[in-house]
Order: sequence, then C-alpha cells, then structure tokens
Amino acid sequence: MKHFAAALLSAAMLLTLAACGGDPDTAQESIQAIAMDTVMVFTAYGQHSTAAAYAAEKLAYETEALLSRTDPESDVSRLNSAPADTPVELDGRTAAALEAALAWSERTDGAFDCTLAQVSSAWGFTEDTFCVPGQEELAGLLEHTGFDQITLNGTAASHAPEAAVDLGGIAKGWLSDEILKIFQKNQVPRGRIELGGNICVIGDRPDGSPWRIGIQDPADPLSADAFVGILHLTDAYTVTSGGYQRYFEEDGKTYHHIIDPATGYPAENGLVSVTVEADAVEGAGAMCDALSTALFVMGEEQALEYWRSSGYEFELVLVTEDGRVLVTEGLADRFTAGEDTGYRYVTVS
Amino acid sequence: MLPFPELRPTLWDGLVVLGVILLAAVILASAWSREEDGGALAVVVSADGEEIDRFPPGELPDSPRIYENNGYTLRLAASPASGGDGVRVEAADCPTQDCVHTGVISRGGQSIVCLPARIIIRLEGGPPPETAVDAVTG
Repeated sequence: MKHFAAALLSAAMLLTLAACGGDPDTAQESIQAIAMDTVMVFTAYGQHSTAAAYAAEKLAYETEALLSRTDPESDVSRLNSAPADTPVELDGRTAAALEAALAWSERTDGAFDCTLAQVSSAWGFTEDTFCVPGQEELAGLLEHTGFDQITLNGTAASHAPEAAVDLGGIAKGWLSDEILKIFQKNQVPRGRIELGGNICVIGDRPDGSPWRIGIQDPADPLSADAFVGILHLTDAYTVTSGGYQRYFEEDGKTYHHIIDPATGYPAENGLVSVTVEADAVEGAGAMCDALSTALFVMGEEQALEYWRSSGYEFELVLVTEDGRVLVTEGLADRFTAGEDTGYRYVTVS
Repeated sequence: MLPFPELRPTLWDGLVVLGVILLAAVILASAWSREEDGGALAVVVSADGEEIDRFPPGELPDSPRIYENNGYTLRLAASPASGGDGVRVEAADCPTQDCVHTGVISRGGQSIVCLPARIIIRLEGGPPPETAVDAVTG
C-alpha cells in the first residue's frame, strides 16, 4: 500500500510538472519589427526561443544601420561618399554582405548588380522621388556600374570614380543567413524568419507537417489571400522578386524597380515574378535573394538555362506575363497550385 | 534513536493525491487546449515595434479605433461581411494607401502593414491555419 501511494504521488508530481513546464519544443516567441523598409517577423520555438528572436531583431536593426543607402552614417553611405579609390574600413558584417553581393554579381555575369545605386536613384526608387530619367543620363551612369568597379580587401573597400554600391538586392538574404545561424546557436528546433518576402523556415510545423508558404499572386499583390500557389517547405529558404512590388506610373506606363543592368531600364523580359527556393544551408539566403533578381532580369529562357546549367542547387517558380506558372521539377511535389487563379501550370525539367 | 512510526495512508492522504492529480489534469488540458486553438482571436496593434493595443475583434463594431504614428493616422474598423472577426483599415492619410488596399484580414497570422506610419495590425490566435498559409513570399 505504501509503495502504491508513493507511486501515485510520484505520478501526480510528474503530471503537475508537465502541466506547468510544457514541452520545450512548443515554447514559442514571435517578434515583429519594421526594418530595412519592410516588415520582419521572427518566430522561434524551443527553450531558447525568446533569446533567439530578440537576438534576431537586434541584428536586423544593426544591419539596417550598416547597409542603408539613405542613412548618411551607414557603412554603405560612408563607402559611397568616400573619394574614389580610397579604401574605407567597414564593419565585418558589411564587408561580408558586400563580398556576397560581388560574388553573386560575378556568378550571374552581372545580371545581379550591386553597383546600380546611381541608376536606381535616377529613377527615384531609393528616395521615393519617382521620375523617368533620360536615355543619355542613364547611358552615362551605366558607364560606372559593374562589380569590377568595387574593390574589397578584407574589410576595406573602395570604389572607382562615380561608382557606388547598393546592397538592397541582397541585404535581406544575407541577413536571413545570419539569423539562421542565431537560431541554430540557440537550438531552435522549428521557426520562421520572415524578412518581407524573404522567408526561411526551420524544421517543420508543430503538427509535423511542412510549413505552408504562399506565393503572392502578382495580379493581386495586396490581397492577404491571393496566391499563385503554396510551397510546402522544411528547412528551406524562399525569396520572390516581382515588378509588382515597387513601381510608379508616368504617362500611362508602369515602371518597376528591378533595373536591367544592361539597359538601365526596368527589366521587361516577359516575367512577372520569380520565386527561388533552396535548402537552408549556409549562404543560401543570399543566393536566393540575388538569384530572384538576376533571373527576373534574365527572363524565362535564360533563367531556366541558368537553373539547368549553373551548378547551384535551387528550384524556381516563374510567373509569366502570358499567364503561365512554371515550376521546376525539383519543387513540383512540394508545390500546390492555387485554385481558380486563371494561370496555366507547367512543370519544367 | 526512536524507530519511525508505522505510516499508514489514510482516507485524507488519498484525497490529497486525488486532488493533486485532478489539478494537474485540469492545468494540462488547459495548456493543450491553448496550444490546439491558439487562444481566442485578438487584434494586436504595434507602432515602431511596440505593442500599443490588443483587443478581441468583436469590440470593433461598437468602437472603430484610430492610431497615429510617424505623422500618419489610420482608422481601423470591423468588416461586417466577414462575420464579425474581420478587420480592415477603413481610412488612412499615408501616401501609399497599401494598408487600405490590403482589405480585410480575418484569420490568425494575417496582418495589415502601414510602412509610412510604421504600424502593424496583426491577428493572433484563433483556430490553427490548417488550409491557410504560415507566411507569404512576394
């Protein structure tokens, strides 16, 4: 009887502890922040979820302060305003982001270009002073673009005369890589890093199924319920670039923010949006971010050729102007088409 | 040294054990239930990253709310067509009007963002999104 009572009491105590403590894998922290001109949400599960989410938020604000083009105190502004060919000592994080940007500029043969700062400003996309620049002005600015205009030695960088850096096309991707490291250090078993449309998912959902990531329908960009399709992802990055995200109209024509480095004009290659997906491995966030822009600039044919032959591990969902949705074969079984979207869905191999 | 007295569980001991077990079961069931349904649906408003308001969406029909931040003003109202739980930004004086154009949100996890005002209106809790998405790329 004594043993029975002891066992009963032990069971009661264990049950009470379980009820009060909860499963550490279900402890959740979710923080929202506005940084780098976008909404960020850091969702972490696990025993260290709070520490991980707050560290992520802190890094986001620090990265914004380092990489902003509009903050005159940022590393990028200091580099751009320095005299030509004069090395500027950068924070190690800025140097790392710049290194990734230069690498992907080269790997995409300049389709992703982190030196379009002056061109982007001429269109008013940086300062929200939209206007259509003259062809002559653009031609003059393009003479000073290209990754070979920037020199990076360790953490010191310099630029050629008239050249300037804009890391806006890769900053969030690079940041998501760094936040993933924070989550891993804090042993976050599952979670999400949402930096605007740059998403990284860790592990799976609490119910054991893959995370469900909607791809915004470019035809209805502000709707909370309009999706081209849904990606079912575990431990993966995904980033989307589209002309619908930022644009202005002048004289009845729409001009979007993704500039073709070859022409200085918004890229017009028949694509409406490009979604890149890759496994959540080191550096893949920056890769997805840079490639989503580069492949948008390349257009459908070149983008698919790059996917087939570049040797980099990623998958694509391309939405075309003529209403097709092209899903590469490696992603096909993790993609569910949207209902009644009017798109024609094609698997590409 | 005196020997320990013979301990024999009494009826009261049994009742205490039973009480502890019942209490634990109630707490556990409550915790599981909260995890299962995410708690009651709540509208959470934050400005510059700080939570400034939290309330059940059912309160809005009687009292639309106005938020000011960063020099802009948003008017949050209920959406009768969404069955009571939907909210939308009815009017705003921000330059982009993206918050107004976002329309109605009605499920946990959905949000309306006004970047110029640096205000985020987010729905938290409610039933788990079995068919809805966890995040949006685009």
